[in-house]
Amino acid sequence: MAVCPILLYPDPILKQVAEPVVMPDETVDALVQDLIDTMLDAGHSVGVAAPQIGASRRVVVVDVSNSKLGRDNNHGLLTMINPEVIEKSGSMTMREGCMSVPDYTGNVTRAENIIVEFTDRSGQPQVIECSGFEAIAIQHEIDHLDGLLFLDRVSSLKTDLFRRKKR
Amino acid sequence: MQHFALTIIGRDRPGIVSQVTGILFDLGCNIADSSCSILGGQFSMILILAHPDYVDRESFGDAFLPLEESGLSVFLRVLKPGGEIRPDIEGDLCMISVYGSDKPGIVYRVAKILGEKQVNITDLNTKLVGSEERPVYVLILEAVLPENITEEDVDTWMSPLRSELQVDISVRTIPTAEL
Repeated sequence: MAVCPILLYPDPILKQVAEPVVMPDETVDALVQDLIDTMLDAGHSVGVAAPQIGASRRVVVVDVSNSKLGRDNNHGLLTMINPEVIEKSGSMTMREGCMSVPDYTGNVTRAENIIVEFTDRSGQPQVIECSGFEAIAIQHEIDHLDGLLFLDRVSSLKTDLFRRKKR
Repeated sequence: MQHFALTIIGRDRPGIVSQVTGILFDLGCNIADSSCSILGGQFSMILILAHPDYVDRESFGDAFLPLEESGLSVFLRVLKPGGEIRPDIEGDLCMISVYGSDKPGIVYRVAKILGEKQVNITDLNTKLVGSEERPVYVLILEAVLPENITEEDVDTWMSPLRSELQVDISVRTIPTAEL
């Protein structure tokens, strides 16, 4: 139970593919608690992935229920062990930033609706359907488990409309 | 460290970025923020630079001479202390698109309203599109809305321009989140 410092790029852990958790695992509960404590301590944070606090394991926590964008459409606090997006549809562009890459934001297009499979904190398998900001947040955090930052997904240089040439 | 702003513009061709950054690299300059783009047929570069030893324009000697000889215009501005630090502008990001048949004053009228309302424009692009007979002007800008100002307020301010300038205007905030 501890608030952990958020690792910043170029910490190499952020670019590694994280290891799956083999359940049951007695150490994972403490990691989950650290992630929750760290997320809450970071004030406006809506999610933290284990690599961001130095654990290269496939665990994320997401909670968009306190944010303006996710308030009306969310599953509350989600603890996701070995999460995997099994279906996606639609697309939505948001200006994303990341605690591990301070002072920079970029437009990222992600699926608007996802179905995600994971193991919850009590070890139960779960499948849930998410949309909107919660879906974006989950995809952003899962990217951390694959060593991807939003910088790898930036779809446009701000107002990119002019850069696509017709004809 | 002393910072400089370097602006370079000239007829577009392959190799400009490499020519410019090669010179900067050989001088030992660090490039901080920069933005480069094609405007019309011109390639334009704006860069914030720093150098551990350089203090003024003379420090650069005639390093940029080859650029000028190849047809590029070069302008160097010596920044005052702190001039390289980006202000922390708080608020929701707002995109405004304005487009319609080309006529004088589109940029000015939009910018005037925003300026008077103390709305900071952080990015602005315009482009003349359409055909020669029917030119269409497109302006897209990004601004930061001060607290208490909503998308609807901006839309209301812009409303008179729709009929006066015969342009279409849309205003939307971009959801931004630190994840």
